[in-house]
Amino acid sequence: MSGEPPYDPDASETIDLARRKEGPNPPPPAREPSEAGSVVVESLRQAQRAAAPYLTMTRIAFARLARDRLARAGALVLACLMLLAVFADVLASDRPVACRWDGVVYLMPNVTQPPALRGLDVARMRREEEPGDWVIPPLVAHGPRSPAEGEALVAPLHAGHPLGTDAQGRDVFARVVHGARTAFVVGLGASAVLVLIGVVLGGLAGFVGGAVDALVARAVEALTAIPTLVLVLVVEALVPHPTTATLLWTIALTRWTELARLVRAEVLLALGNDYVTAARALGASPPRVLWRHVLPNAIGPAIVAAAFGIASVVLVEAAVDFLRVGSPDTMASWGEAMGEARLHAGAWWLVVFPGLALLATLVALNLVGEAARDALDPRLGASGPTVPGA
Amino acid sequence: MLRYALRRVLWAIPTLLATSLVLFLVTTLAPDPATRGDGGAPVDEARRARFLDLPRLFNTDPQDVRSRVAAAVAHVASGDAWHEEGARELDRLGGAALPYVLPTLEALPPDERGRVAVALAPVAQRMGLRDAQSLSRPDAAVLFWTHFWDDRALDFTRTGVERAVQRLVEHGSDLRESDLVALDTYALPELVAAMSTTTDGVALERLTRLANHAAGRGPVLRPDASPARVRRAVADWKEWWFVHATDFVALDGPERAVAMVTETRYGKWLRRAASGELGVSAIDGEPIADKLRARAPVTLTVCALAMLASWALAVPIGALGAWWHGRRFDLASSAVLFVLYATPTFTIAEALRRTTAGHAVAGARMALAVAALAAGSLATLSRWQRAAMLDVVGQDFVRTAHAKGLPAWRVALVHALRNALMPTVTLAGMHLPVLLGGAFVVEEVFGLHGVGFETLRAIEGHDTAWLMAVILACAVAVTAGLVASDLLYGVLDPRVREELVRRQGRPAA
Repeated sequence: MSGEPPYDPDASETIDLARRKEGPNPPPPAREPSEAGSVVVESLRQAQRAAAPYLTMTRIAFARLARDRLARAGALVLACLMLLAVFADVLASDRPVACRWDGVVYLMPNVTQPPALRGLDVARMRREEEPGDWVIPPLVAHGPRSPAEGEALVAPLHAGHPLGTDAQGRDVFARVVHGARTAFVVGLGASAVLVLIGVVLGGLAGFVGGAVDALVARAVEALTAIPTLVLVLVVEALVPHPTTATLLWTIALTRWTELARLVRAEVLLALGNDYVTAARALGASPPRVLWRHVLPNAIGPAIVAAAFGIASVVLVEAAVDFLRVGSPDTMASWGEAMGEARLHAGAWWLVVFPGLALLATLVALNLVGEAARDALDPRLGASGPTVPGA
Repeated sequence: MLRYALRRVLWAIPTLLATSLVLFLVTTLAPDPATRGDGGAPVDEARRARFLDLPRLFNTDPQDVRSRVAAAVAHVASGDAWHEEGARELDRLGGAALPYVLPTLEALPPDERGRVAVALAPVAQRMGLRDAQSLSRPDAAVLFWTHFWDDRALDFTRTGVERAVQRLVEHGSDLRESDLVALDTYALPELVAAMSTTTDGVALERLTRLANHAAGRGPVLRPDASPARVRRAVADWKEWWFVHATDFVALDGPERAVAMVTETRYGKWLRRAASGELGVSAIDGEPIADKLRARAPVTLTVCALAMLASWALAVPIGALGAWWHGRRFDLASSAVLFVLYATPTFTIAEALRRTTAGHAVAGARMALAVAALAAGSLATLSRWQRAAMLDVVGQDFVRTAHAKGLPAWRVALVHALRNALMPTVTLAGMHLPVLLGGAFVVEEVFGLHGVGFETLRAIEGHDTAWLMAVILACAVAVTAGLVASDLLYGVLDPRVREELVRRQGRPAA
């Protein structure tokens, strides 16, 4: 995120319509290549190159983001946590990363879960190893769901559990790492869907107006009135077998309202601009006006909403699992791990590690979201403040 | 102002309707007992209690006692594979079915007539008229029912039953009671209606006994029953009647048209929700409305106190932060609030609970819960307040006020803060749902027996009625809060109410 992004004329086209791009027109096909003509074209090109780089909102935004140390730190933390989520199976699993068993070589059986190795874990494979077999274990040889016999509430750094175990003997490190996966899947998935719904409905409400606007406005108000946490709790209780997908869809289908409101406001603002009138006068069809001239204005709010959306989804997910602790359906999740800690006062490691992971994620997401909002806010000067809390 | 207020309140109605539609869709998520495999009467009854036998949004052919009787009579008369079910149905419908069976008895062929008359024999026994044994012969049964209808047809009118029930309540006697026994289920609408209007123990005993005799189910009250028991029994009867009313009442003319909308899952659900009759708890059989009334004060107190506390702190912190923009206080408070903002409420609550060991006293627990909840909203509110104040501080009228030579405190309080408060007021309304969700968490952590605590127990006990009631109550509370905050905004800012009135009732988004 450091340094100037490479100059990309197309990127500006999608963002900056308030300042219609005058940027590099392709040179007109030279009809008669004369010496004087080529000199003129060449000098024009030189002038273009010498001119200050053309400022688009994207470039300004990226420049501001790159200057923001807190945003960089937040992005770094997020990147690390996402790596944890992606490589969760390599970091903590009860299957090996690779092994040779009964003469067959398995690569990544922790991911592929081959049926031939059903019922085997690393510890057992070690014990029953025959000559010629070999096992490469993951960093921690415990899965998030498999309880280790007689190893309940082991303190950190004991018995091969770097972060200890919970009351059921499940490895805390595995649960933290796999919890990252749950958090990011739910967070990214739900906010992707809610951004899509919010942009489409908000855009239509602002652009079409009339009955559509009224309908969307009612839907927005109706959904705003329902507390998310309560709704998710109730839905998870009603659905026979709640999964992560239940949570994801419940949040995605109800939390698009704020973004729809923002997008609608942006669209209404954009519709008043001269370039929209000009586009219409030139005979652009309504879908084209919406797609090319109006909606791009809403990209900024959508990005910011996505960042904060992920944070709030992660928060709701954690809170729900915290409250529903002990329910058999829950995935490995930070909130659930902390809920478990409530029942065992002495086991500080059950609170601290998942809590830190959760707090780091939320702080990082909020930092990035804040920075993105400031960076995309045209009212702030090109060097606007990016103090947290602004 | 009044026009504005009225308009805003009226606009809450379509919003509530839309909310109710969403919540109704949530109820449809609950699994249908029929899909679990084993059929049979208990499952049918469970499905009916949740109106799963009705279509979702529109009922083209609402069932009433007449159509049910016609179907049952057809089965019994033809003696087909379902004739036993048909006879059972006639027995269940009882006296209410008679006005629709007996006049048509003549028109049936003799053998069919006999089968129907015999199928009605248990009803005669329940009415205390004849032993079922003596009516087991078709010709005797037909003769009995023909005579019965010739003699008693005039008793089967709604006004007659109403008067009879009223007299029974006012000066009950055994004779009047046996008159009503002879009407069987035909008297049920008036019996159930009278239960909620009288408080007299003896009258309630007679009413519930009659209803129980006719319906073959439901609680019977003793004359010395406690008020709580009376309330529970009456709620049970009303609940049952709400589900089964169309078994015993005919829908005619306009009623039928209305029933196309009301006799649907959504219609039933909405009517029940709007009348505050939320059913009975699956855990302890208490009426949900009573339970809600008992638990809500705790939750509302926690929310209100947390709201007040966070406002009292957030406004000065946010305003001062913006006033001293970029100075040490601003940076420090921003950093602290930022971390607080990102910290989940349950972490704050859990940390508070662990650090303060002695929380056995209810008052102390309440204070801690309020503190935990307020900490979360403090961060949000003060950040909003700071942003709003920053917007205002940069504006010309503030500079003018400074230039006029006003003291700084006066500029800050009168000119800047007053304007900067307004966005926070609207946003505070939007913050309500978060606050309610947070209240659920702190109640659970600190063991306060409020709505949230009860909800988590309901989740463990699969108490669907409570869950639906809670989410509905939350939605209503939040809508009321939003309306209140809009009204407050209208009081503070005349431009807002003018705009709303001018725009023909589109509330400010």
